[in-house]
Amino acid sequence: MPDTSSKAGVNPDGTIDRARAKRMLNPFDRYALQKAIEIKRAYGAEVTCVTMGPPPAAEVLVEAFEHGADYGVLLTDKRLAASDTLATAYALHKVVRYLGECDIVLTGLQTTDGDTAQVGPQIAERLGLAQITYCEALSISGKTLSARRVVEGGHQELEVQLPVLITVANSATPLDYKRFADVAGVKEFLRRPEEKERRIKIVSLDTIQADGARTGLVGSPTVVGKTWKLGEIGGSCTLFQGESMEREVEELIGKLRSDGKGVEELING
Amino acid sequence: MANPNNVVVVAEQLQGDLQQITQELMGAARGLAEKLNTGVSCFLLGHGVTPMAERLIHYGADEVVVVDDPQLKEYATLPYRRAVIGILEHLKTPPPIILMGATTIGRDLAPRIAAYLETGLTADCTELDIGDYEHKGKADPTKTGTFSNILYAIRPSFGESLKARILGPWKNPQMATTRIGVMQALPVDATRKGAVYTVSVKFEPDDFRVKVVKTVRDVSATINLTGAKVIVSGGFGLGNADGFEVVRDLASIFKDSVVGASRRAVDSGWIPYAHQVGQTGKTVRPDIYIALGISGAIQHRVGMSHSRIIIAVNKDPDAPIFKFAHYGIVGDLYQVAPLLKKELVKMAGNVGIKAGA
Repeated sequence: MPDTSSKAGVNPDGTIDRARAKRMLNPFDRYALQKAIEIKRAYGAEVTCVTMGPPPAAEVLVEAFEHGADYGVLLTDKRLAASDTLATAYALHKVVRYLGECDIVLTGLQTTDGDTAQVGPQIAERLGLAQITYCEALSISGKTLSARRVVEGGHQELEVQLPVLITVANSATPLDYKRFADVAGVKEFLRRPEEKERRIKIVSLDTIQADGARTGLVGSPTVVGKTWKLGEIGGSCTLFQGESMEREVEELIGKLRSDGKGVEELING
Repeated sequence: MANPNNVVVVAEQLQGDLQQITQELMGAARGLAEKLNTGVSCFLLGHGVTPMAERLIHYGADEVVVVDDPQLKEYATLPYRRAVIGILEHLKTPPPIILMGATTIGRDLAPRIAAYLETGLTADCTELDIGDYEHKGKADPTKTGTFSNILYAIRPSFGESLKARILGPWKNPQMATTRIGVMQALPVDATRKGAVYTVSVKFEPDDFRVKVVKTVRDVSATINLTGAKVIVSGGFGLGNADGFEVVRDLASIFKDSVVGASRRAVDSGWIPYAHQVGQTGKTVRPDIYIALGISGAIQHRVGMSHSRIIIAVNKDPDAPIFKFAHYGIVGDLYQVAPLLKKELVKMAGNVGIKAGA
């Protein structure tokens, strides 16, 4: 996904130019990747990391390898440009189908650019899979996966028979992202063309037998009608600074009192 | 038979408690329905929920369509999905608009329904409206045209530096979720009358693949970030977990306060996630928000910038938080926070009382 802290890459029509935008692994996906690696370590598994975007998006696969992923797939095709969540989920579910059987599909809860949290459940719907969203913790015994799912003011304990799609909450295991990192190992295998080819697949819509009419702007049921820049907020901050903290605090209190904001009413009597 | 032209709200109840978001959605739906010259239908799903239908009418529904089934006792994705699809099939023609909450239930269920229906869904809307749209895109001539009375689903985008109006003019239902606390509920009107319809749904064995072992709702352990009048938050500038003692200490002087935190403080393991304010945490709008050692990155700002009074303490005079705080003190929070506590208590008059005693 594009780096949202960078201003590069917003088209005039409000869609995102993913070729121009700075790329980064979606922070939420780090939780999913970490969970996948934890499952691999605890129960034995092969982890395949799937991403979609312009060719340079392969960079995020390298990051996934460094943290312990076994295989990487990049879906890249001009016909994917400006896909909304439904079209994205269509394309990604085709990649999962193309890869064959899998026990668990993990996704981040949402992205930090779109924030929709829709793609995971929409992949599940298209694959006909059960889903557990907002998953904080999980354990597996045979074909049974037990999970803890966050709900407002509590949690649910759930059980499901594999396969299942999981979206990982960011209240899951605190991100200890460097724990399994093997940067040197990845550098090493990237230098060997046959190994690189074995572990990284670059596929197009044709490779995965996806219908280009169902992706991109054409295949998206929604369109960005208009965008507004949110104006720079502020300029109205009353700032107190100087040598004496005591004086600054006193001045702040004086100002709060003269502004009549009723602060004192919220303080214990 | 329920009116298929009504704007639909999918009610949210958790273990028999109607959630606040439902009333807010109803307020939003009424506004849309008036512009479309139609009514509001509410889908109510659960077990033993039929008596809640009347309350939904008081909130603003003209019709309530109920699926009351023991299989819906606990929220689970697939049976609830089946129930919503069941009602929609019962309606014969798709309703123009379906609204759901951007909650752990709505964000679980709405995308599945939208994918099943192959229709558009806009997440986390902050405004909803009705209007016209002319589609000029050349990529697909079959989509070109002028559309009237369609849903304007307005939401922040791209890290909330933009606001976008999202449209799905080609197909009904047009779906949207809204964030908690954003839409305005209507005053409850106990004199409102409406119709209640019951629909029975045939479930498939596959709908029960996920077993709900239990739902635990520990209200006492919940940090009520969204309901508190005062939030004192700590950020990375605290330097360590012990720093939150200073934050708690300042929070303790307020009547209705909780401790908040920035993502970096949470990610550092200094305080549990439940305290997190911001894009990946809770969106809050208390009367007073005091930020200690929080730089004010956009991800934090979007979660608290609507607070009535924002007071920031930060060592760095160029910290972004001073761009949108109302009051700021440049200085070391470890020096400032205790002074602030003392002066605020004095301001509230405690010292005066003591002096007079």
